[in-house]
Amino acid sequence: MSIEDDEILQGFIEESLEHLSDIENDLLAIEEGGADIDVELVNKVFRAAHSIKGGAGFMGLSVIQDLAHAAENVLGLIRSGKLIPKPDIVNVLLLAADELQHLIEDVANSNSADISSHTAALNAIFEGGEAPAAAPRQERAAKPAEPVVKEVAAEPEPEPEPEEEQAELSVEEAEVDAADESEHDDHDVMAQETAGASRARRGAAAPQKTDTTIRVTVSLLDQLMNLAGELVLSRNQLLQTITSGDVRNAEAVGQRIDLVTSELQEAIMLTRMQPIGNVFNKFPRVVRDLSKKLGKQIDLTIVGKDVELDKTIIESINDPLTHLIRNSVDHGIESPEDRLKKGKDIRGLIVLKAYHAAGQVVIEISDDGKGLDGNMLAEAAVKKGLITADQAKVMSEKERINLILLPGFSTAKKVTDVSGRGVGMDVVKTNLDQLGGSIEIDSEVGKGTTIGIKLPLTLAIIPCQIVMTGGERYAIPQVNLEELLRIPAAKVKERVERVGDAEVVRLRGNLLPLIRMSKVFDIDPTYYDPLVEEIKQDRRQNVADPRSRKTPLFREERAVDEPPRDTSGDVQRQQGERRQSPASALNIVVVSTGAMKYGLIVDRLHDSEEIVIKPLGRHLQQCQGYAGATIMGDGRIALILDVSNIARMAGLTSLEGSERAAEMAEAAKEAITKTRDRQALLTFSSSPTEQFGVPLNQVERVEKIKRTDIEEIGGRRVMQYRGGSLPLISIDEVASVLPLADREDFLVIVFHLAGKDVGLLATGPIDAIEISAEIDDVTLKQTGIMGSTIINSKTTMLVNIFEIVQTSNPQWFEDHAAYAGIDADEAQAPTILIVEDSNFFRNQVKGYLEEAGFNVIEAEDGRIAWKKLEEHSEEIALVVTDIEMPNMNGFQLTEAIKADKRHRRLPVVALTTLAAEEDIAHGKAVGIDEYHIKLDKERLMECVHRFTKSAMAA
Amino acid sequence: MAEASKLTKNVLELATFYVGNALCGMDILKVQEINKLMEMTLVPQAPEYVTGILNLRGQIVTIIDLGQKLGLGKAEISSESRNIIVNAPGEHVGLLVSRISDVVMADPDRIEPAPANMRGLQGDFFTGVYKTENKLIGILDVKEVLRIESENLGRGAER
Repeated sequence: MSIEDDEILQGFIEESLEHLSDIENDLLAIEEGGADIDVELVNKVFRAAHSIKGGAGFMGLSVIQDLAHAAENVLGLIRSGKLIPKPDIVNVLLLAADELQHLIEDVANSNSADISSHTAALNAIFEGGEAPAAAPRQERAAKPAEPVVKEVAAEPEPEPEPEEEQAELSVEEAEVDAADESEHDDHDVMAQETAGASRARRGAAAPQKTDTTIRVTVSLLDQLMNLAGELVLSRNQLLQTITSGDVRNAEAVGQRIDLVTSELQEAIMLTRMQPIGNVFNKFPRVVRDLSKKLGKQIDLTIVGKDVELDKTIIESINDPLTHLIRNSVDHGIESPEDRLKKGKDIRGLIVLKAYHAAGQVVIEISDDGKGLDGNMLAEAAVKKGLITADQAKVMSEKERINLILLPGFSTAKKVTDVSGRGVGMDVVKTNLDQLGGSIEIDSEVGKGTTIGIKLPLTLAIIPCQIVMTGGERYAIPQVNLEELLRIPAAKVKERVERVGDAEVVRLRGNLLPLIRMSKVFDIDPTYYDPLVEEIKQDRRQNVADPRSRKTPLFREERAVDEPPRDTSGDVQRQQGERRQSPASALNIVVVSTGAMKYGLIVDRLHDSEEIVIKPLGRHLQQCQGYAGATIMGDGRIALILDVSNIARMAGLTSLEGSERAAEMAEAAKEAITKTRDRQALLTFSSSPTEQFGVPLNQVERVEKIKRTDIEEIGGRRVMQYRGGSLPLISIDEVASVLPLADREDFLVIVFHLAGKDVGLLATGPIDAIEISAEIDDVTLKQTGIMGSTIINSKTTMLVNIFEIVQTSNPQWFEDHAAYAGIDADEAQAPTILIVEDSNFFRNQVKGYLEEAGFNVIEAEDGRIAWKKLEEHSEEIALVVTDIEMPNMNGFQLTEAIKADKRHRRLPVVALTTLAAEEDIAHGKAVGIDEYHIKLDKERLMECVHRFTKSAMAA
Repeated sequence: MAEASKLTKNVLELATFYVGNALCGMDILKVQEINKLMEMTLVPQAPEYVTGILNLRGQIVTIIDLGQKLGLGKAEISSESRNIIVNAPGEHVGLLVSRISDVVMADPDRIEPAPANMRGLQGDFFTGVYKTENKLIGILDVKEVLRIESENLGRGAER
């Protein structure tokens, strides 16, 4: 077949494909309407078929023409109301549309394709008004997913596409050359950049059809032209300024160019943006076909079709999304009978949603099906040898669910022809990784699954964190960035530990494996000395303190024997002092890819910047650690790090990571129990020699004042504060400690008590620290001082601000509910169970409660508490519990209480040192009624009164 | 007349340069440009013969140390060092040389095959030698130089 005019043919193909993509959804809508025919819609489809027919006839594509004609006939009948579009008939039409699409995509061979089955079916409908139970349906039953795959497979591989690819490549090269010759022309450079980025990705992306044209609205093109004009004008101005040497003007021109280029960049980006609806639109059909085949009833709701994404991403997201949708239909949603049994709506619901969040596009696929069972997944993973049983034990529910993303994991008990196409979730994940996206699964057994996909808006320009190691800059894509961590020199010993030869850092209770960038990349280790602002050679091998007492797994391998490579005596001397100098602080970039998370140790952290990805040359393709390179503002190049490959290079897999974590957890269990009750303290002084501490969470603010700000009126000290008078007290007014130092400057620590603000006079230095040390509540205890502890080898007295204020201003508390005693004698007073493993905290809480007249029963952990609860089940009116405890923690205790018929009504108040949001959510889920911060007497008492009152009333 | 006949005949213009002390030449038409940008970014883990990468007007160019590649020893970067940018499939590649020399008009017929005693590694990279009045020019096989060999891959990985 000879095709005379390529351009016209190309136009026809594009137009037809556009028509066809509309036809599909319109047909589905027609089917839904049934006998109630929407003439407008049918007309639209009819016209589309007609246009294709006309175009095909003109181009001499007789097969396409015939098929379109047959379809048009049937549509004509529907339009005139002679035929009711029953599902059978719509099926035949849909199949015909599919076939048309295939034919048009492979125009060159279309005339030799066999479409007799389709035309026969269509003609049968046309003549008989009934859908025959003929060939196409059976064919469809056999291969519902790819209805026409047979015909396509029979034909030779389509030829034109590779050629197009070639053509595209040569165009790119031409552009590259052009860019070289005209370095002022940003237009070309930009085109080359985007082309380069897509080329860089091409090798990795799955083979797929590449269409080489893109539709851009004329208004956008006009805008581009306008901006290009502006740019030329600015260039002329710049050249003029340079010749005249007018510096002041240069600044203005620079700004103008800055503005124009950013606008131009944005506009060019826009040309690549396409609505995600292009992908989403095919899913109603997918869901319809699949659910029909599986005998399920499923509604698909699509939200956010207009969200725009880069063309490359749109193209590559198609396969993963299809897979996920199929999964939801096949494995997620239960059969109607099951749903009925479980009391769910017989129709399952899948919601496909796209929206913008934090500069990324989020696609969510949620179903209300049976959900994923983490335990089952873990079991399967163990069975397949992907993880060990021990690893499975220490995994959280979420980690278990995300096991499904591991390579070699497939949960379907049998491989169905629907989802079991050899494409597992791991392939989905790999595809998304290549796009710089991420995937996260949330699931609740019986309630459904939500899969969240985060994608960058565009691949060409990405925000990156710039870091420095060995004197060179590197960029880490922001998508991989979790947080930046700086461990000050003094804390390195304490926070960084070693397991075997692996370094780990404890980050909020979790162990984070550390990778030393210089080690992985074999860069001469250097460090940045902020004092002299230069980069120096580093010969230390380990950050972790070799004398670390916490890890029994540590092997003695301090690198004393390492001969110095090329050091001057100067550096040598430096070493001794460095352990405590700011230079030995660790800069850690916490990065994540999927389930893996680790810390990358770098020399320095810089800003985050938007960078343009450029591919690396062929000679560097073997370097696994880079995703490309970029050019920084000063013209130098920074390499972009490939976070997941670095992990692989360092021999860190997510499994190994958790294995290590498990080892560590075992080894450091004791350490964890010790650090459990960490308390954040604000330390300060009053006299020059004594140090005090107060729980940080009680402090409202800290103000710096001059002595002259303090007014003595009516025998009291006050200062003006937020338009009122703030009463000031000092510790020595109440407790027998050394008097307040006589200074020019004071600190005022503001507390909020009994509905009033009160300021505690203090002097510096102040510091906020976390302690886990034992608190001694005997030796130094007195009025106003609740106990003492050792902080940085200094005895620190812990201030009981309630007592201090109560002693100095007793009248404040008389009317305040939180401090009221209860109006009952001892026999009738409500009994409260306090569960707390730390003696100090338990005694504190007990003190508050007994003071107010409550009866108190104590328990050291959840298990003892449960026993006590059994013994005194009648008396106890309220449980106040700590969360972190040995044997049985607060969550488990609460769960047990709420699950027991006798105790279900018992209110549970949890006390915690650090109220993390997830903990609170978890607590609420298991039934904790209220959360309070330890040592916040006022809130606790208020809440205790509230609960006991309602209990007594009941 | 002699001049004219020379022109009509195929004249090969050789861009000549020194790699260490060795004088090499290549077809000038293969040269995209020659520059002295030495502000390279090092690429850890790159093959040994890659000196670094360079920003050539917005394009990332890999710089190959020709001395290292030919087995003549690592190039010392001096004020006379130059990058010869050549076209490679899909990209530009820079060849780092010690010094640039003249353009030599060579008669293709007088190019002799590389002498048999040219040692293995070097022999691979030369298509022949050209003798001028007072010096010998080794003619570089650019394609061979730019080829990514598995041997080099192996060596790079061992580092």
